[in-house]
Amino acid sequence: MKATFRIWRQDTPNGQGGFKDYEVDGLNADMSFLEALDHLNEILVLRNEKVVAFEYDCREGICGQCGVYINGRAHGPHENITTCQLHMRSFEDGATIVIEPWRADAFPIIKDLIVDRSAFDRIIEQGGYISAKTGTAPEANAIPIGKEISDRAMDAAACIGCGACVATCKNASAALFTSAKINHLNSLPQGQPEAHKRVLEMTAQMEKEGFGHCTFTGACEVECPEGISIVNIAEMNARYLKAKLFS
Amino acid sequence: MELFFRKSIIAATGLFLCIFLIVHLSANCILLLPEDIARELYNSYSTTLRENPLIKLVAYALYLSIILHVVYALLVTLRNRKAKPTKYALNHSNENSSWASQNMGLIGIFILLFIVVHLANFWARIKLGMGEAVGTDAFGYVDVYEVTSSLFHNIYYVIFYSLLMIPLGLHLHHGLKSAFKTLGFYHKSGLDLLAEVAVVYAAIMSIGFGVIPFIVYFK
Repeated sequence: MKATFRIWRQDTPNGQGGFKDYEVDGLNADMSFLEALDHLNEILVLRNEKVVAFEYDCREGICGQCGVYINGRAHGPHENITTCQLHMRSFEDGATIVIEPWRADAFPIIKDLIVDRSAFDRIIEQGGYISAKTGTAPEANAIPIGKEISDRAMDAAACIGCGACVATCKNASAALFTSAKINHLNSLPQGQPEAHKRVLEMTAQMEKEGFGHCTFTGACEVECPEGISIVNIAEMNARYLKAKLFS
Repeated sequence: MELFFRKSIIAATGLFLCIFLIVHLSANCILLLPEDIARELYNSYSTTLRENPLIKLVAYALYLSIILHVVYALLVTLRNRKAKPTKYALNHSNENSSWASQNMGLIGIFILLFIVVHLANFWARIKLGMGEAVGTDAFGYVDVYEVTSSLFHNIYYVIFYSLLMIPLGLHLHHGLKSAFKTLGFYHKSGLDLLAEVAVVYAAIMSIGFGVIPFIVYFK
């Protein structure tokens, strides 16, 4: 299988970037997209050229490290997957595949396809945790939680922080990510003591990082590998209002 | 704070304008009656509105809502542009979201253009007394019916008024759906129902306002 990769190359964070075409032969339809990029990099090494920098870790769709804009879609042409779960069989033989880094002011490019997503970490630092005394793990059934609530919390907790929501959003809004993190903890009893503080401080940090407004286009929930529902954002808005009124 | 406050203002003013449109369209339906009855009803209705102090208050709320809606939409757009300074070379946003939801600002500009023309046609003439003087009907009411009827006997205005109801419908559909979410309504099945209501509401408004000028033209 053959393909032409049109890849964004940028050496330094503030440097001038641009697209470069690479015609790659010897690909295989069963290769994952990241394996195809590995294959390209092996060719570049043999040619003594600079390899394409891209991020990855687990390569099984759970770590949230990989993520690039492929042919005009975050994580490629399919809904609700990560880039490592995309395979070359999704493209036609001889296709030109355009690969760009996430584009957002809050996600500055480090090199080529790698962006700095530490803005997410700083949002988490503002309350994406519960303050509890350390010690041995508590007994699992000590705090009974209804199935409906635990399911909702778990659905929100599934967010892997890949940044596809920000990448695909025309406003570069981080509302889906932040709302998932807030709702996960605020819907559980363990999250209650810091519930108001959490929503106010995490959203304040989201604003400080320079993310845009959510205008509910719904693109984020389509591209989210974990299928986090956009209803989470509405729930965050309600929690924010409640926190403003009652804290 | 800014992220929530600005969008909440847009949502709240938008919902107020949605309610206003229902009242406006209901009144427009008078135009569908036979001419004699329509003229009397329409003129007495508009006179009653103009003379009611409570309606005056609502009118000021309406002007304020439109201005706030536009100003805050502008602020939101500016921040959003700053948040995404570089666009993708290739972006298939139509595969994950509706065109209207991606272009509310652009659609809004068309609606604003419509409002300016609409106000110049009616509000400026009737309330501000600008342009050609408006006469009175047999009952002594200001003849707003005549202003409407003569305007809609000009095919260019009929086409302009009807055509611009398409962006209105698109704007209302996305706006109604997302305003509730912005204001924190997160009941899942309620939102599913709202999505259906938004389609029906937008269709009624868009088709209703868009068809009446044609009916008046051919009457």
